[in-house]
Amino acid sequence: MTIAFEGVRYGYAGARQPALDGIDLVLHSGSVLGVVGANESGKSTLCLVAAGLAPATIAGRLDGTVTIDGLSTAGARPYELAQRCGVLFQNPVTQLSGTASTVWEEVAFAPRNLGLALDDVVDRVELALADLGIGGLAARDPQRLSGGQAQLVALAGVIALRPPYLVLDEPTSQLDPRGTNLVSDILAGLVEATGAGILIVEHKTDLLARMANRIAVLETGRVVAEGPGKEVLADPRLEDWGISPPSGIRIARAAAAAGVSVPEVAA
Amino acid sequence: MAELEAPAAPSAPSDGSTAISGRLPDFVARPPTGPYRRLNPTTKLVIAFAEALVAFGVRGWTGPLVVLGVILAGAVTARIGRALLPYLLATIPLVASILLINTFLYPGATDRIVTVGPLAPTWTGLVAATQATLRVVAFAMSVALLGLTTQPDHLIADLERRGAGRRVMFVVGATLRMIPRMIERAGEITEAQRARALDTEGRVWRRARGVVPLAGPLVFGALTDVEELTMALEARGFTAPTRRTVLRVFPDSGWERGARWALFLGSIVVLILSIAGRLEFLP
Amino acid sequence: MSAAEAAGPGPRGVALACESVGFVYPDGTQALEAVDLAVAPGARVALVGQNGSGKSTLVRHFNGLLRATRGRVMVDGREVGVRHVAELARLVGVVFQNPDRQIFSGRVRAEVAFGARNVGLSGHALEERVVAALTTVGLESNIDDNPYDLGYSKRKLLALASILAMETPAVVLDEPTTGQDARGVARVQAIVAGLASAGRTVIAISHDMRFVAETFERVVVMRAGMVVLDGSPAEVFAEPSWPVLASTYLEPPLAARVGAAAGLGSTPSESSLIEGLAARA
Repeated sequence: MTIAFEGVRYGYAGARQPALDGIDLVLHSGSVLGVVGANESGKSTLCLVAAGLAPATIAGRLDGTVTIDGLSTAGARPYELAQRCGVLFQNPVTQLSGTASTVWEEVAFAPRNLGLALDDVVDRVELALADLGIGGLAARDPQRLSGGQAQLVALAGVIALRPPYLVLDEPTSQLDPRGTNLVSDILAGLVEATGAGILIVEHKTDLLARMANRIAVLETGRVVAEGPGKEVLADPRLEDWGISPPSGIRIARAAAAAGVSVPEVAA
Repeated sequence: MAELEAPAAPSAPSDGSTAISGRLPDFVARPPTGPYRRLNPTTKLVIAFAEALVAFGVRGWTGPLVVLGVILAGAVTARIGRALLPYLLATIPLVASILLINTFLYPGATDRIVTVGPLAPTWTGLVAATQATLRVVAFAMSVALLGLTTQPDHLIADLERRGAGRRVMFVVGATLRMIPRMIERAGEITEAQRARALDTEGRVWRRARGVVPLAGPLVFGALTDVEELTMALEARGFTAPTRRTVLRVFPDSGWERGARWALFLGSIVVLILSIAGRLEFLP
Repeated sequence: MSAAEAAGPGPRGVALACESVGFVYPDGTQALEAVDLAVAPGARVALVGQNGSGKSTLVRHFNGLLRATRGRVMVDGREVGVRHVAELARLVGVVFQNPDRQIFSGRVRAEVAFGARNVGLSGHALEERVVAALTTVGLESNIDDNPYDLGYSKRKLLALASILAMETPAVVLDEPTTGQDARGVARVQAIVAGLASAGRTVIAISHDMRFVAETFERVVVMRAGMVVLDGSPAEVFAEPSWPVLASTYLEPPLAARVGAAAGLGSTPSESSLIEGLAARA
């Protein structure tokens, strides 16, 4: 069970160069694929294409195929794909629907849109809140939450549809350290909680070192490296590609260069 | 290339029944309590509509006075008499200008109250001014009554259940919420531009230069927001053709429905009669 | 010409200070409580803490966007008083976090020139400043581009260039590395170093403890409107300070933790850690 990219090219309308230039990539169910790359390497576009939001909601041209569990996304409307692949963006606030006065209702937004039976809606909301451990926020006003909390509410809203795949585009980049810890702790356990296949784009390689099974490196729209997380993060070419390796690896390298050894410390 | 199938058909939604699922948490399922608040949200909306129609549509003193009386009765029933005060105060600037303009400048009036130099207030003007004031106040109070006894979410939910389009309701609701966000953002933009020495405290002509640097980012930001929100909404099934599941059904008895229609049609009839000059006998 | 400019070449920074500063928002929230902070001319200070700790509120006092409800705020040895923001902005340039909240022009050149023009520059002098600022941030080849054709990282650097062109003796950066990739962070580090060597005072708000430990000579930690730690990175990230950091959900950089585990004392930056290990070996 996978999301598979085959020869995917994507060009935004009016752009000189394609944002994605021949991507072959596979995301497996029940595992985490980390995606790293310098800014403007195509990471965000990759997320939009995976979820079918591009080209459906953004003008552009898609070549190649993206298949979710064997079915192509070509020609599918985003609401049809919403039950197959959920997306979480960077900015917690702009993702909120703005129509709900409580977190509970915010999480119910997507199931209600699809016209699911009321009991079904209640089940899904409760499960999503429980999976993320935010049941205590259920009665709160979504507009009055901290960044980290808002991001978790947005995530709950996404997993309420029980999609087998999740795409997260820099979910912690706009959060303070507390929010980042809050969200990353939840993300670390998300596969176990939902069984989903997760594609996560992040600059924080320390975070990916903790949670990613495999990592792909993007540079100018192409995958230049892909493999088990630990291997890719230890690749000496990472900095050439504009990516900062995790602290542990940087320290180990600097120590090796200076001919000293480094004690082990839990990251 | 295989086409994507529609998701498995969901079971029929439960709108139409008046039962509220016992499993909804209190804060979601809670219907409003209290004498006036208990009315169906659409009823309260229709009341406000009728009040506005009569306040402005019926000539003379009767219209606004009757409406004010009704509103007062409603406010006392709902126990929000005191809460109306801020809304009343908010009308003062408008009322003051109406009073001044009409009393002193009513065209064609000759019955002067007093003459002080060039100023010549007239009784006709004063009467007209007072009537106009009453209408404005009546309208403001009808809006206040609606706003204080009805949560916007409830009203939107009820209208949606009656079949108002999902998108229209979303736009109304989201716009209300977007306003504070835009205001906050305008503040951030102003700060950033002032930090670049844009003068917002000095002379007026200098301040006029600030329009583009202040408005530009606000507009761009709004457009970007719309784009981001559209994507997020699509990703959460907003454009699905299915009928949205109803969470709350507000009680709406046969009596209430009948009374509501009567009120709605009645106020329109009164308006037509007034325009046609059939209500001249009213003071 | 400001006093700092008239002083000619040589250290051109100004001192910034808060004496027992308190600030209460109109809605009653107490955002700052008795904050004492003295920043010497040319110092490099990092301000850290969770959202809501008061860091952003504090820096807005230095250019007059906010006025203390208690205590005194001093810029260049003089109390801020009632001086307009437009005047203080010549001394303290503040770069806010989100570049899209200030970019309004269709040309990079005009966008960078905006601030400098507001403080009275024009003609050739203005053009020179614009080019110099763009060169410092690495965007000189984009001078005729549309800002929105540049990606987010570059727009952040553009906003920074716009303040650099004003050549203020003090520069405040609000989260300069958030959303930046590795190259962007390295560029910001180089810019801070450049400002410091030109003697300008630099204050940066940041969530990135590694960036803070490696780039700044002093770290001020805030929590709930108060300063809870204030010292060099070695002091602030030393093991005895860890409980205080934890109380405000901050973690010392990995280098500090490794150094402590190795019994080396406080090694907040990776280079100090390696030095310490090498010295002991």
